[in-house]
Amino acid sequence: MQLRRVWLQDFRSHESLEIELDLGLTAVLGDNGVGKTNLLEAIALLSTLRSFRGAPTESLIRRGASEAIIRAEGVRDERDVLIEVALSRQGRTRVQVNRQRVQRTQDLLGALRVMVFAPDDLAMVKDGPAERRRYLDELMVVLDPRSASLQSDLDRVLKQRNALLKQCKGRLDEAAAITLDVWDDKLAGLASELTEERERLVAILGPRLQQSYAVLAGEVVPLEARYERSWSARSLGEALVDGRDDDVRRGVSLIGPHRDELDLRLDGLASRTEASQGEQRTLALAMRLAAHQLATDRLGEAPLLLLDDVLSELDPDRAAALLAHLPPGQSVITSASGLPEPTRPDAVVRVERDGTVALAPATIDGRVDDAPTGELGLSDRETTS
Amino acid sequence: MAAYAKPVEILIDELGRLPGVGPKSAQRIAFHVLKTDKVDAQRLADALIAVKDRVSFCERCFNVAEGPECGICNDDRRDDTVLCVVEEPKDIAAMEKTGAFRGRYHVLLGHINPLEGIGPDQLKIRELALRVASEPIDEVILAMNPNIEGETTAAFLSSKILAPFEITVTRLASGLPVGGDLEYADELTLGRALEGRRSLS
Repeated sequence: MQLRRVWLQDFRSHESLEIELDLGLTAVLGDNGVGKTNLLEAIALLSTLRSFRGAPTESLIRRGASEAIIRAEGVRDERDVLIEVALSRQGRTRVQVNRQRVQRTQDLLGALRVMVFAPDDLAMVKDGPAERRRYLDELMVVLDPRSASLQSDLDRVLKQRNALLKQCKGRLDEAAAITLDVWDDKLAGLASELTEERERLVAILGPRLQQSYAVLAGEVVPLEARYERSWSARSLGEALVDGRDDDVRRGVSLIGPHRDELDLRLDGLASRTEASQGEQRTLALAMRLAAHQLATDRLGEAPLLLLDDVLSELDPDRAAALLAHLPPGQSVITSASGLPEPTRPDAVVRVERDGTVALAPATIDGRVDDAPTGELGLSDRETTS
Repeated sequence: MAAYAKPVEILIDELGRLPGVGPKSAQRIAFHVLKTDKVDAQRLADALIAVKDRVSFCERCFNVAEGPECGICNDDRRDDTVLCVVEEPKDIAAMEKTGAFRGRYHVLLGHINPLEGIGPDQLKIRELALRVASEPIDEVILAMNPNIEGETTAAFLSSKILAPFEITVTRLASGLPVGGDLEYADELTLGRALEGRRSLS
C-alpha cells in the first residue's frame, strides 16, 4: 500500500497537520523541533499501532487533548484505502479501514507495511543481543503477521516459567519439579519453532546484508551473519533438563531464544566491539536495507520506507550512497539541513515551527530557499527517482 | 483531594476492585446507587450478604452450592463414568447450556499461573485425583481455556496426574465457530481446525 495523504490531529506536538506524499521520495524538511519525527512516528503507527520509539500511547496524545487521530489515504492494488486510528487516554485504540471497524490488531497488520530507519538503529549493532533479536522478530512479523502470536505466546511462557523459578528460591521441591516439567515442554515446543524461524531468516538475509553493506560502504567487505543458539544440546528440551539446576539456582531461564544472539562479523571481527563508529552506522543501515529488500521480494510490494534524520549521522559519501541506492517504492525522509547532491526528491514538504506545511517544488538539493533552478529540478525528477 | 463525600469515595473504591470494573464504571455505578430508592440498595446489599452466607463450594466438585453438595452432584440421573474438568464454576454454566453433556464436573477453581502464585497445590487437583481413584470414572474431559495457562494446566493434569489411571483422557476440540464463515476465521483458529479435522468416510 502507498500513502497519498496523511492527517494528524492532536498527535504529539501537532494540533493539526495535513501532508501530501509523493509515491516516490518525499523529503520532509524543517528546523529541529518542528515535529518531523512525530510525522514519521504517526505514519509508522498506522502499520503496527505502536510507536517505533517505544513510547507509551498516552504520551502520543497532545497535551490538553483527550484523543489523537491519525488518518491516511492511500492506494493498494489500484484501489483507494482509508486508514484511521484514534488513540485515546482512556479506553482502547480504535482502528478503521475504509470506515469499517477493525477489531483485532492482527487484522490490521499487513494492511500497510512500513519500515523505519532511525538514528537509534545504531543500537542494533552496538547494544546487547536483545536489539538484534528484536530486529529479527520484527522482520518476521512483517513477513508473516502470524509470527506475532508465536512470539507473544513464548513471551508469556517465559514469564510464567521465570515466576515459578523465582518462587523456588534456589531449591526445587518435588511438586515444583513436576510443574516445571510441564512448562519446559511448553517452552521447548514454542522456542524450537521460533528458533528455526529465526535461523531460516538469517540464512536468507545473510547475502542481502553483505550486498547492502557493500553498496553503502563503496567496497566489498566480508560480512558474516550467524545465528547463535544459547544452548548446544540436540534439542532445547534436553538442554533444559541439563540446565535445570542452574536455572533454579539463578531463579531465571538461562537458555532459550531469549538468550540467543545474531553474531555479525565484519572482515572477521565482531562488529559490536571491534568495528568503528562509521562501520557500525553503515551496518545498521545495511540491516534495514536488507530487511526492506527481503520484505519487497517476499511480499511482492515494497514497504513504505521512513528515514528519520539518518543523513546527519553519515559522512557525505555514505549519505549519498544511501540516497542513490534507495530501494524502489515509496519513501519519506526527514532532514533539518536538506538532502545532499545530487539527490532529487519527487516532492519536498517544509514544516514550519507553527505547524503549517508548505509544499515546495523539488530542487536540486531539496532546499526551498535557494531554488533558482526549480524548473530544472522538476524536469529532472523523472530520471533520478 | 477527595472529590466526593467519604462514603461515596469508599463505594467507588470497593466497586473498582471488582473484576471488569474500571474507575469510570465504578463511578457510574456508585452514582446510580445514590439515585435509586433505598429498598433497591437494600436488596442489592442483602443479595451480596446472602450469597456469602448461604452459598459455598460443593464439597465434591467445587461448583457453587447451596448446602454441602451442588445440584449436579445431587442429581442421580447424571452419568458417573464421565467427568468434565473445568477452571471455574461459570464454565459449568456454559457447558450445561449446551445440553450435550450428561456427566459430572470437577472445578479446579483456577489454572496454573506462577505469575499470580498459583501452582497445583492451590487448585483442586489433589481432590480430582482422589475422585478419579474412588469414583467409577472411565473418561476425563479436560475443558480448560485454550490459552497458555489453560493448556499448561491440561498438560499437567494429563501427564502428571491422570496418566497412572486406566481411563481415557480427552480435551475439547478447538476450531471453527458454528454458523460462522470460513473467511472470517482467524488464521490461528483455522489452523487448529485443520489439525483437528475429522474423517467423513
